[in-house]
Amino acid sequence: MNYGPLVFLTAFVALSASWFGFVLTPQIQIGRLTESTNTLNTAELYPKARPGQAAQGLQVYRANGCAACHTQQTVQEGTSIDVYLLEVGTNAAAVATALVNANVGFTRIDDPGFFLNLPKNILPGTTIEAAKRAFKGAQSAGAKAQIRINPQGPDIARHWGVRGSVAADYLFDQPVMLGSQRVGPDLSNVGARLPDVNWHLLHLYAPQQVVKGSLMPPHRFLFNVSKAGQHPSPDALQVPPEVAPAPGYEVVPKPEALALAAYLVSLNSSTPVFETPMTLASSATSTNSPAK
Amino acid sequence: MSQSIKRSAPASPSSSQPLLKEPAFPIWLIVFLTLLLYAGAVYFDGHGSGFHPQVYAPYSSYTQLADLQITGPPNPLEIGFRVYHKPSCVSCHQASGAGSPGQFPPLVGSEWVQEPEPGRIIRAVLNGLQGPISVKNQQYNNAMVAWGGVFSDEEIAAVITYIRQNKDWGNNAPAVTADRVKAVREKIKGHPGPFTADELLKIPAAD
Repeated sequence: MNYGPLVFLTAFVALSASWFGFVLTPQIQIGRLTESTNTLNTAELYPKARPGQAAQGLQVYRANGCAACHTQQTVQEGTSIDVYLLEVGTNAAAVATALVNANVGFTRIDDPGFFLNLPKNILPGTTIEAAKRAFKGAQSAGAKAQIRINPQGPDIARHWGVRGSVAADYLFDQPVMLGSQRVGPDLSNVGARLPDVNWHLLHLYAPQQVVKGSLMPPHRFLFNVSKAGQHPSPDALQVPPEVAPAPGYEVVPKPEALALAAYLVSLNSSTPVFETPMTLASSATSTNSPAK
Repeated sequence: MSQSIKRSAPASPSSSQPLLKEPAFPIWLIVFLTLLLYAGAVYFDGHGSGFHPQVYAPYSSYTQLADLQITGPPNPLEIGFRVYHKPSCVSCHQASGAGSPGQFPPLVGSEWVQEPEPGRIIRAVLNGLQGPISVKNQQYNNAMVAWGGVFSDEEIAAVITYIRQNKDWGNNAPAVTADRVKAVREKIKGHPGPFTADELLKIPAAD
C-alpha cells in the first residue's frame, strides 16, 4: 500500500472537519450560553433552573424511556405579521387617510363599519415593513395600533408550543431529552398547557381516563396501592371509580411520580426570546391531541 | 499464428504512442461543478446567516430577526398574564380565575379584586392572606402564599392589573402602578406575616 499516509491523512482531515463543524464551532458559539434577559418586552431572566423536584423528575423521565414516544422540540415554519387596530381615537377620518397614505394596500376607507368591533385585525398576514408603516400612520393620527408577530407551523397550530424551540430552552437539562418519535404529543411546552400536577398524576396512573383513546401505557408502578387505614395519606390520588382500587385502599404516588409530575409541569418554553420574535397571546388554549 | 493477427496499416512513427486527444477530466464537468459550488455558496450565504448562533429556522438572517423585534412600552396585561401563569397564582386560582369551590376563592367577579382602590389587594398579594374570608358571599378558610419576596414591584403591579382588568373574566377595575406597589411595600414593612381579612378591612382601601 503505497498511499498509506495519504489515506490516513485524508481520513483524518475528513473526520476532524466534522468535529470542528459539529462539536467545536457550536461549543464556541453557544457553549457559554447562560440565563439572560434575552426576552422581549419583559426584563425576566430566561431560562431558569428547574426546581429540585423537577430536576429529579428529568431523571425519572429518562429512566422510564418517556423520550421514546415524546419529543421536546417545537418546530416553527414561518411567521405571520398582523396589525391590530385597538382604538380609533377622536378622528376616524384622519386615521383612514393615514392608513391609505401608508401605502399598505388600502386604496380608500370610507366605510364607517371599518372602525367598528375593535380591536380588529386590519392587515392580516402582512410584511414587517408594511406593518411598521401602518402602525406609524395610525399612531400619528391618534389611533392605537399593535403589530402582532405570530409564529406559524403545524406544531404551533396544534398548540404544542407558542414558538420554535431554541438552544436556551434546554440550558438546564442534563441530558437533553429531545426525543425522536412522536407516538405521543410533543412535551416542550406541556407545563404551560397542562399546569395541574394532579392532572399529570392521574394521567400517569390511568392515561385513558383523562385522554380518550390515548396510546400511553399506564405507569402504575409509580404508585403505591395501600390500605387507607385510620389515617389516610394526604397525598392520596383522587381516582375515578373505573380505575379505583378495592374499597378501603388508596393510591399514593411514589416520590418518583411526584418528581416526574413536577418535571412535566416545569416544561414551559413559552417565554418570548430574541431568537423567535412573537407577540404574547393574552389567553392560552389547551389541547393535547396527537399529530394528524 | 502471428500471421493470423490482422494488422492495420503500418504504424507511422508519429502515432506509435497513444495521444491524449481529450483531457481525462472534461472541461464541461469542471465548469458544471464550479457553477454548482457557486450556486451552493450563494444559497448558503442567503439562508445560513453566517452561522449566527441566534438565528434559527425559519429566519435566515440576523437583520431579519432584529427587524421583527417590536420594542415598545411593555403591555402590563401581557406581563401580568405571564406572572399569573408562572405557575404562581394559577396553581390555586386556576387559569379561568374561578378558584376551586370551598378551597380557593375565585378572582372572577370578586369584590376584593375589583375594589376601586387597590390598597387591600396589593397587601394580600405582597404578604399573603390567612384565615377566614368571605368572597362573593362564600366563606373560605385557607392560606395564601406571600408573593412580595418572589416578584418585583413591576411584576406585582402587572399581575394585579391583569386580574383586575381581565376581560375574559368580566373584571374591570383601574390599573395598578408599580409606584403604588412600592409605596404599599414601604408601609407594610412592620407587618412581616400574612394579613387576615379583618385586618385588611380595617385598613382604608385608599391607603
